[in-house]
Amino acid sequence: MNTTDSTKAAAPAALQMPAVQPWKSLADPMVLLIAASFFTPLFFSEGGVSNFAYCLIWTFAAIGLAAMWGFGGILSFGQTAFFGLAGYCYGVFTINLGDSPLSTWMGVLSGLLLCMALACLLGYMIFYGGIKDVFIGIVTLSVTLVFETFMAQTAGPQWAIGSARLNGFNGMSSMPSLSLPGMGADNILLEGNYFLFMVLVMLMVVYLVTKKLLGSSFGLTLEAIRENPHRAEMLGIDIRRYQLLIFIFGSTLAGLSGILYTVWGSYITPSSMGLTASAMPIIWVAIGGRRSLAGAIIATVALLNLSQELVVYGSQYALVLMGLILLVVVMTMPAGLLPTLREKFSKQ
Amino acid sequence: MTLFTTIYSFLYQFGDSFAYLTLSALGLAVIFGMMGVINLAHGEFVMCGAYITILTAKAGLPLPLAMLTGAMTAACVGAILEYLIVRHLYNRLFDSIVATWAVSLITQQTMLIFAGPSIEGLSTPFGSFELGDYSFSTYRALLPFFAITVLAALYLLFFRTNYGIYARATIQNAQMAKCLGLRTSRIYSMTFALGAGLAGLAGALYAPTITAVPTMGSSFIVPAFVTVVTGGANVLLGVLPAAGFLGFIQSGMTAAFGQLAGQIGLLITVIFVIRLLPKGMGHLFNRR
Amino acid sequence: MNKIRRIAIACALTLPVSLAVMAADPVKLGLLEDQSGNFSLAVIPKIHATELAIEEINAKGGIMGRPIKLIHYDTQSDNTKFQEFARRLIQVDKPDVIFGAFSSASREAIRPIMDKAKQLYFYNNQYEGGVCDSNVFVTGAVPEQQFSTLVPWLMEKYGKRVYTIAADYNFGQISAEWVRKIVKENGGTMVGEEFIPLSVNQFGQTIQNIQKVKPDFVMTLLVGNLQSAYFEQQAAANLNLPMGSSIQVGQAYEHKRFKPPALKNMYVTPNYIEEVDSPASNDFKKRFRAKFPNEPYISQEAANAYDAVYIYKAAVEKAKSTDMVKVRKALEGGGICTDGPQGKVCMDPKSHHMSHTIYLAHVQDDHSIKFPKVWNDIQPYWLGQAGCNLAAKADYSQYTPSSPPKK
Repeated sequence: MNTTDSTKAAAPAALQMPAVQPWKSLADPMVLLIAASFFTPLFFSEGGVSNFAYCLIWTFAAIGLAAMWGFGGILSFGQTAFFGLAGYCYGVFTINLGDSPLSTWMGVLSGLLLCMALACLLGYMIFYGGIKDVFIGIVTLSVTLVFETFMAQTAGPQWAIGSARLNGFNGMSSMPSLSLPGMGADNILLEGNYFLFMVLVMLMVVYLVTKKLLGSSFGLTLEAIRENPHRAEMLGIDIRRYQLLIFIFGSTLAGLSGILYTVWGSYITPSSMGLTASAMPIIWVAIGGRRSLAGAIIATVALLNLSQELVVYGSQYALVLMGLILLVVVMTMPAGLLPTLREKFSKQ
Repeated sequence: MTLFTTIYSFLYQFGDSFAYLTLSALGLAVIFGMMGVINLAHGEFVMCGAYITILTAKAGLPLPLAMLTGAMTAACVGAILEYLIVRHLYNRLFDSIVATWAVSLITQQTMLIFAGPSIEGLSTPFGSFELGDYSFSTYRALLPFFAITVLAALYLLFFRTNYGIYARATIQNAQMAKCLGLRTSRIYSMTFALGAGLAGLAGALYAPTITAVPTMGSSFIVPAFVTVVTGGANVLLGVLPAAGFLGFIQSGMTAAFGQLAGQIGLLITVIFVIRLLPKGMGHLFNRR
Repeated sequence: MNKIRRIAIACALTLPVSLAVMAADPVKLGLLEDQSGNFSLAVIPKIHATELAIEEINAKGGIMGRPIKLIHYDTQSDNTKFQEFARRLIQVDKPDVIFGAFSSASREAIRPIMDKAKQLYFYNNQYEGGVCDSNVFVTGAVPEQQFSTLVPWLMEKYGKRVYTIAADYNFGQISAEWVRKIVKENGGTMVGEEFIPLSVNQFGQTIQNIQKVKPDFVMTLLVGNLQSAYFEQQAAANLNLPMGSSIQVGQAYEHKRFKPPALKNMYVTPNYIEEVDSPASNDFKKRFRAKFPNEPYISQEAANAYDAVYIYKAAVEKAKSTDMVKVRKALEGGGICTDGPQGKVCMDPKSHHMSHTIYLAHVQDDHSIKFPKVWNDIQPYWLGQAGCNLAAKADYSQYTPSSPPKK
């Protein structure tokens, strides 16, 4: 017993094994937090609930990036490219095939599949081509910008897939909301509170799956690759395969964010894929603590909320204050917000 | 005459592209290429150089002096930034993304609030000259030569001066350099200021040709990053071939298929070059 | 003595009115405009103009005795902020009317939100035209108003060979389509058309292409700070061709930001700019600069934003209520007009767009402006002709010349 404890204490915090027993994962504070969030409609107004759901939409892209970057060491600027791609895919699908539950959920599936396919292609080119470190960032950034530049000029009527016009910079709109088949003729439209519940269910599933994935041998191999790629290779691990798989996983999660955003606002535009937009998930994950999934979720919601509150109360100083807060956090909390807080509280 | 005109006009466009890529990239090549700091505030150093150039030129300083003042001011601002913020991030370079992003946000917005949404710019100096059916701006025809001069000056700085040796040593192996008695913190500071000054110089040189708004630096960031990364780790050996190749593709595509093709062509070329040369173009020339 | 007494009497007279106004239930006007970010340059005059109009109306007793309360959120030139705060306004602040949006993308981002909530929404900016939406009223100018006046005039003066350079997105492409149409109708030739992505600020090749085909004049439909670099660059290369535009000068005041003679021989057809020398304009400028002495430029969109507040006021007074359905019906009944900086302008019931005075502005060598021609009361005729009649039939779409309403 004693030796296990001391070796556990010696291992760096990042490599500590998370709980493998399934019932222990239910006691995970994040899971409890997500479960508690189901009760927010009781305490918050319609506007507050809608805004909360909106902030949650972006967490998937953040979780995906945390998995890729924190665990896999892959800094991808491409999250927003997959975000936009999946959003447009959902739009094209549902505008053409209608708003029935089947077609909207098929739209979701098609968006996710398209992301997986593109991530596979792009990832294959990157990892099997030997591209490493910061070069991955630049290649993914270039892909994002190509996509944005291309989509921004698709304004003409010839740019349409079926009856869905891509509509260039002005964006594509009028997509239907997701719905579930209901009793009789009326489907249950997943808006308002139902939208929040759906997002929370998705978040719970994604969080648990990601945590399980990263805690399994796959995740540990990934961390080994991140720590020392050469050593991993010499141990016989095909690092390219692992990197490709986590890249597909992380990028598809960004696609999920894109689909939910498109559903929430009934709108998708190329500006969602610009340079500023692609930096945002990186900022959130860096602040939340790269290796902390819970940190990524909380940082995303907190920072989005903060930027809104700053607009309401800070008027034109909003961006200055935001910059100052980000600067202070990154300078004073090297490990990220959540790990630093966790450390502080665990010491007491 | 027509063949000569056509050739010259293509060379002019190529030179234009090349100069823009090189000048945007130089400051970042030093800060990112040499020091590894991902400087998302690069555009703001450019803006600083441009604004100071415009303000001092309007106050009466002759243009070359105004440009030097712009570059020097950017260098000073860089030194201050390094001392306050960047210095603490050398052992966690990824966090430099957030820190420099935050600085960029603060700077842009503060400039907007205090200097207004724009200031009146400068005219492009030196007039124009004609060749056949076309007329060209003399200043822009000279820009590629400025770019090469700056590159040559950088080469001399890094390979023929003491500072150059110290800087290269520190960046190659800081621990060793410290053991040998070099004041590494001072060298980092000077190198960062150099990078900032080069960015300011780019802003100063382009100030008479574009709009002076607080967000003007943003158009330099992507060309800078793609050129530096395509060039690879070695600043001087990398930037020249990268800017040359990318500039060739961009000007060629724009001439043949229009501006959209030029923009997309540039980005796709970056992807292919990195795929084919994963360590950047400079690696081809690097025999070490 | 007399002066002081007069001032005292004036104060005494307005005080009870002001107090009464403050006591009544306010009319809430939500404003979604970019006070920061890339678009702030063109948008800040709009925000100030709205504030000026509201202050003036409140000083005279408000709308039907109720003061206007402005709720402004800075959308930071970011489409997602537009969506977030449109929702916030509708769900939390519950305004009686929402004004706002600069770029068409931000307008299209919030239009579905306005439609879902059946929220009355005014878009006070020039744009590519075609929005036929029951909830939306547009005070900005549209292509048929600006090009049908400008292009024939330029063709008559300079010649029939036209080259267009346009921003490569909806506004630029649709505007270019209008130019093409009008040039053809007037017997001219398009010798070239170039579409420039929004991120481009280096125009060497474009300038060369223009020189190669030697057009009589160049239509410039360039948008944003980056693309405006064209003017300095074409002057540096001594291109020396007359230029025409619907968007330059009036929106982002390039003639004040670039050193002469970069904009020399530019002809623009805004529905207002501060150089207009009429009694209405001069009075407006005086009041504007009294409140905002450091305003860099009182633009076309400032005048539209100002007129919009008064149009809304007139509609509420006609409907005798701020209920959004009643106000909409009042606007669709016709006859809602206002007398602002550009003179009398009215809201067209069929298309929900406004008639405009169109001024032909000619930028001189020193960047001063002369007005060779003024067209009064130009109607936004295209949507009505194409089949959009919101007074009779509800609709929530945006149309273009190549995809008009289905008849």
